[in-house]
Amino acid sequence: MTSKTRTPIQLQINGHRHELEVEPRVTLLDALRDHLGLTGTKKGCDQGQCGACTVHIDGQRVLACLTLATQAESRDITTIEGLAGEDGTLHAVQAAFLEQDAFQCGYCTPGQIMSAVACIREGHAGSDEEIREYMAGNLCRCGAYPHIIAAVRQAAVEAAS
Amino acid sequence: MTVHELRTRPGDAKRGDASDGAVLADQVGGRLSRVDGPAKITGAAKYAVEQQLEGLTYAVLVESTIAAGRVQSIDTAAAEAAPGVLLVLTPDNFLPLRTATDWLGTPPPAVAYCPLARSITFSGQHIAAVVAESFEQAVAAAALVKIAYDEAPAIVDLSDPKAGDGIAVDAMTKEWGEAETAFASAPVRICNAYNTPREYQAPMEPHGLIAKWQDDQLTVWEPSQWLDGMARTYAEWFGVPFENVRLVSPYIGGGFGSKAFAYGYGAVAAVAAKMLGRPVKLAVSRPQTFTAYGGRAATRQTVALGANAEGQIQSIVHRGVNETSVDGMWVEPLGSVTSVMYATPNFSSRQNVVRVNTVVPGALRAPGENPSAFGIESAIDELAYEVGIDPLEIRLRNYAEQDPHAKKPWSTRQLREAFAAGAEAFGWSKRTPQPRSMRDGNQLIGWGVAAGTYPVRRAYGEAVVRILADGSVEVESSSIDMGQGTYTILAQTAAEVLGVPAENVIVKLGDSRYARAGVTGGSRLAGVMTGAVHKAASAALDQLVGLAISDPASPFHTLQANTLVVANGRISSPRGNGPEVSIAELLSSVGRQHIEAKGDTMPANSTVEDRYKNYTTIAMALPHTEGDYSRHSWCAHFIEVRVDEDFGTVRVSRVVSALDSGRLYNPKLAESQWKGGIIMGIGQALLEEGIVDRRHGRIVNNNLADYLIATNADIPDIEVISVGIPDPHSSVLGGKGVGELGIVGVAPAIANAVFHATGKRVRDLPITLEKLI
Amino acid sequence: MRDFSYLRAGSVDAAREAAALPGAMLLAGGTTLVDLAKCGVAEPETVVDITHLKGLDTIAVDDRGATIGALARMSRVADHADIKSRFPAVSEALWQAASAQLRNMATIGGNLMQRTRCPYFRDPANFPACNKRSPGSGCSAIGGVTRGHAVLGTSEACIATYPGDLAVALVAFDAILHLGDRQVAVDDFFLPPGSTPEREHAIEPGEMITAIGIPASAAARRSTYLKVRDRQSYEFAAASAAVGIEFEADGRTIRDLRVALGGVATKPWRARAVEEALKGKVLEPEVVRQASLLAVEGAVDHGANHYKIELAPRVVARAILKMGETA
Repeated sequence: MTSKTRTPIQLQINGHRHELEVEPRVTLLDALRDHLGLTGTKKGCDQGQCGACTVHIDGQRVLACLTLATQAESRDITTIEGLAGEDGTLHAVQAAFLEQDAFQCGYCTPGQIMSAVACIREGHAGSDEEIREYMAGNLCRCGAYPHIIAAVRQAAVEAAS
Repeated sequence: MTVHELRTRPGDAKRGDASDGAVLADQVGGRLSRVDGPAKITGAAKYAVEQQLEGLTYAVLVESTIAAGRVQSIDTAAAEAAPGVLLVLTPDNFLPLRTATDWLGTPPPAVAYCPLARSITFSGQHIAAVVAESFEQAVAAAALVKIAYDEAPAIVDLSDPKAGDGIAVDAMTKEWGEAETAFASAPVRICNAYNTPREYQAPMEPHGLIAKWQDDQLTVWEPSQWLDGMARTYAEWFGVPFENVRLVSPYIGGGFGSKAFAYGYGAVAAVAAKMLGRPVKLAVSRPQTFTAYGGRAATRQTVALGANAEGQIQSIVHRGVNETSVDGMWVEPLGSVTSVMYATPNFSSRQNVVRVNTVVPGALRAPGENPSAFGIESAIDELAYEVGIDPLEIRLRNYAEQDPHAKKPWSTRQLREAFAAGAEAFGWSKRTPQPRSMRDGNQLIGWGVAAGTYPVRRAYGEAVVRILADGSVEVESSSIDMGQGTYTILAQTAAEVLGVPAENVIVKLGDSRYARAGVTGGSRLAGVMTGAVHKAASAALDQLVGLAISDPASPFHTLQANTLVVANGRISSPRGNGPEVSIAELLSSVGRQHIEAKGDTMPANSTVEDRYKNYTTIAMALPHTEGDYSRHSWCAHFIEVRVDEDFGTVRVSRVVSALDSGRLYNPKLAESQWKGGIIMGIGQALLEEGIVDRRHGRIVNNNLADYLIATNADIPDIEVISVGIPDPHSSVLGGKGVGELGIVGVAPAIANAVFHATGKRVRDLPITLEKLI
Repeated sequence: MRDFSYLRAGSVDAAREAAALPGAMLLAGGTTLVDLAKCGVAEPETVVDITHLKGLDTIAVDDRGATIGALARMSRVADHADIKSRFPAVSEALWQAASAQLRNMATIGGNLMQRTRCPYFRDPANFPACNKRSPGSGCSAIGGVTRGHAVLGTSEACIATYPGDLAVALVAFDAILHLGDRQVAVDDFFLPPGSTPEREHAIEPGEMITAIGIPASAAARRSTYLKVRDRQSYEFAAASAAVGIEFEADGRTIRDLRVALGGVATKPWRARAVEEALKGKVLEPEVVRQASLLAVEGAVDHGANHYKIELAPRVVARAILKMGETA
C-alpha cells in the first residue's frame, strides 16, 4: 500500500466500521473531526502538547494529533462519543466529572475523560499524587484540576468496588 | 442551536448545600450541576468551528517573520499551483473593507481596512492566506508563499534602549494629598520595582471561525465573548446592515478576555468566503495564537510606600508602564488596586505606555488589577518585614474603611471577614515570622498572604422568556457560556421566578439572533443576565397569572382571586380554595401556544440607538463608583510554598482563599471559577512568560510545551471560602464578580511565601528556579 | 506538512530496504516524526510504518540483563516489574518523560531517535539558520534565547540540548543498541555536534534499531533518575541525573558508581570524572557535593543557561546521596 494521493482506509471507531479516503498525511484527529464529523475529540495544539485529542487505540490512551489515520487502520479506536452506553448511560468517569464539576469550558474535557478512564484502567489512580502525575498530560486552562482529581478518585473507587 | 435539557439523575439531591443550607438546587443560590454538562462530557457539544458544512474550504494564515519593515514582494506562484489551492489572499487582491467602530464606540476613521499587512509592525503579523479544499493542502501551500522584506530595526520590548519612556496616559493619573513630600518625610520608606512579563490567555480551544455568505447575509460560527459586538464589527467591515450578520457561538472553549473581538483573521475568512462563494474555515494554529491577538502586556511598576514605625501608610507613590503596539493602544491600568486597597492620606499614581513592535496587547483575566496587585501586595509585604509586623496584621492596620480614591462608602466589603476566615482555615497563627524558619528536609517552607479585588462592572441586559404549551420554559439571550455557568444560573433564575423545576427550563445562548447582550468580560455577565432574566421571567409570570385570573376559559376565572401561586410547575390559589392545574393545562384551557416576555434593565427612556450602543460597545457601562457607592469584589489568599533549597524549584503545596463575590448564584460553579483563577495565578507566578528573541523581536516559546501553563501535577488541593453577603447596589440579585477575582493577588501571595521560605524577594515574574538557585 | 507516501513494512528487512531509499523515514510511535513534519523540519517523501512488525516489542530480563525490543512502548517498559526492580533508573526516566499518552505511543527505539527541542531548530520558517537542519547555515540559538540550551558538549556550530531521559539512564549503565547485526554502545551512538551537528546518531541509511540491551549490575539495581524542571510534570529536564551505586560490604564505601546527566548537554552525558572521584570513598555529603562539581567540568554557558552549571552538580549530588540513604 503506497500512495501519495487519497487512499481508501477503514477505521474501526466505537465499534463501528468507517470507510473514508484520506491522504497519508492526514492525522487521526483530522480524520475524526473533518472527515467523519466526530468532533468530540478536540484539537487544542495539534502538536502533542495539550492532551485534548486523547483517544484510545486498542485500549491505550494516545494522542490523535500525532497519529496518522492510516496508521490506525486495523486498530480499535474509541473516542469520547463511544464511551457512554448505547442507551446513553454515562460511563462512571463521565458521571463523576459532572458531579464533581470537573470542567468549565468543556474543551479539554473529552480528552481528560478519555485519559482518566485509561488512568484508572492502567492502575495509576492509586493516590491523589499518582493521579495528578498521570493526568498531567491533559492541560486544562480553566483550572478544573482539583475537581478532576476528585472525579478520577471517585470513579476509581467505584471501579474497584 | 444550543439546547440543554436538564437530566437530573435519580438520586441527585434536589437540595443544594449552599451556605444557608436550605436552597433548592434549581433555585438561585443552589448547587445545581452544569446543565450544559451532559453535552460536554459526551462529546456532543459542537464548538463553533466544528460545524459540518457542505462545500467547506480551509484557510491557513501566512505570517511575517520580521518584526519591523515592509513587505517587498509576495511570490504566490508556487502556492497557487499547489494541489487543492483555491485562492491565495494577499494585500493585493483583498476586498476593500471599511474600518469598524472600536469597542469603546469611537467612530472609525474613513480609511480602508486590510488585515493583511504590507507595513510590518510585529513578527507574526498576517500577510497572506491560502484557501484550499483540505486543511492539509492549505497548510502545505501556505509554506510555499515566499515573502521578501525590507527589514527595519525593531523595538523589541520595554527594556529596549530605543523604547524610551513612552506616552503619559493622563486618564490613569490618580492623586490626592502630597504624595512625594509625604513619602520623603516618612519614617519608614521602601521603594521597589515589580515587573510582569508578556502572558497569554492560551484557552484550550484555539481561535478560529467558519464564515459563510448567502447573498449579503453573513453567518459566522466563531467562539465569542461578545456576539453583538463582533457582529457589529463584521457588519461595518463589509458595509452591510447589522441585522445581516449572524454570529453563532454555542460553546466557547475558554476565552479569558481573548475572544471578545473580531480580529483580522476573521476578516480574512469572511473575505475568502465572499470571494469563493463557499464557506471558509480558518483555524488559528496554536503557535499563531501568540500573535494573532494580544496577551497581557508586559508591565513595570515602582511602588514607594512611606509609613510610620507602626506600619501605617502615610504615602503611596506609584509609577507604572505597560507596553503597547506600534499602531494600537492598550492600557493595562496598573494603579487600579494600588488606589483602593489601603487607606492613605497621600497618594500618587501615574502611568505611561511604551510602543514596541508587538501585536497590540489585550485583556487577560483581570487586566490591570492583576499586575497592579502584584505591585502593591508585594510592597506591603516588604513593608511588613521592614517594620517587623505580621503581613496579615499590616493589612488590617491599613484597612480602607471607604474607597480612598472615590471617597465613597463601599457597597459591601467583606475583606476583613476574608482575612479572618482565611487565616483561621489556613492556620496562619502558627506561622513563624522569620524567613527560612520553616523547613521539611531539603524543602524550605513559606507562608504568604495577599489580598485581591476587582471592581463590579455593571451594564444593562435583556432576555426573552417564553412559557411553552407543555409548561416548559425557554430563556433566550445572545450572551454566552464559556464555562462560567451562564446556561445553569439562567435556568435557575427562570425556574425560581416561574415556579418550575430547573429541568423544565431550556436556556438558549450563543446566537446573535436572540435577545441582545453586551460583552462577557470584566466579570459582569452573571449580574447583568440574572437581572434581565429575572425581569423577563417576572413579566412572563405576570402574564401567566393574569391570564389565569382573567381569561374566561381559565379554571380560576370564577375564583375572583387577586393573585395565584405557581410552584413546581403547577398553578393554585394562595388560599388553596380553588383548582390546581399545571401550566400546560392552563395554557391549553385558554388556548395559548405560549407566553412570551422580553425583559431588559435599560432605563425606560432608552432610545433604539441607546440600545444598539449598549449591546455593541461598552460606552454605556456603568462606572463601579457611580452613585453613592464604590462596588468591588474582594479576596484574601493564604498560600504555602515549598522551595527546594538546592534546585530553586517552587511548588505550591496549600492554598486557602476567602472570597467576597457577594451573593453566589450557584456556589458549585462559582467555586470552580474561583479555583480556576487561583490556578491560573499559580501558573502566572511560577511558569508563564512570553520569551522574546531580542534579535528578531519574536516570541520563541509560542506553543504549549514551551509557554508553560500549570499541569494537574502543579496544583494542590485548594480550599475556597465564600464570605460574601448579598450586595443590592451591585446587581439585581445581589451578586458581585466571580471570574476575575480569584486570580488577583495570587502571584504576590506566592512571591511573599517564597520570601518567607527563602529570604529572597523576587520582584520579576515568573519566579523560576534560576532566580532562587 | 507536505504530502508523502505511506508504506507499511511487512518485515524488518523490508523496512530497512525501504528506509534506505532517498527521502524515506521510519515511522514508529510518530511522536517525533509527525511532530517535526508539522513543524516543517522533517520532509519525508515516504514514511515506512514499522509499528505493525511482529516480535520487536518483547521485554526479556534475566540475570545477565535486559533486552528490550525497539518497538516496546515507553509505558510498557516503565511499568515492567523486572525493569522496575533491576533497573529503577530506567523505569523512572521513562515515567517522568512526556505524558502518559505520549509514552503509550513512543517506542523505545524511536525515543532514542528523538530530536532536540531547540526552538530555533523547530521553526525553519522563522529561523532559516540552523546547522543541524541545513549544514553550514549557522546557528540561530547562539546569541538568542538560550535558557534551555546545553552547557556541555557544545560546539561553535550547535548548542542544542539532547532532550531525552531514557538515554541518560542507558548511558549510565552501558547499554548496547542492536542495529540488526551490528551493535553499538549507547554512548557511542549519540554523537557530539562538533562541526557536523546534522549527524546526531551513529546509524547508517538502511539501519534500524531493533533492540536495546542493558547489562545487569549492582549499580543498576540500586539506581534512580532525578529530574528537575520548572513544571512538575510534562516538561523536559532543566537538569537531570541517572545515578547507580554499589557499596562495598561495609555498606558505606562506594565500589561502583554510575552518573549521567540529562538536560544540560548535547548528548546523554556520562560523568565519569564524578564516578572516578568517588569510587573507593566513603559516602559523605560534603565529599559527594565536591565530587559532583566535576560533572560540569569544561561547561560553557551562553548567558541564560548559566544556571544549569550551578544546578546540574546539585542534582547529581542529591541523587547520589538519595541512593546512599537507602543503604
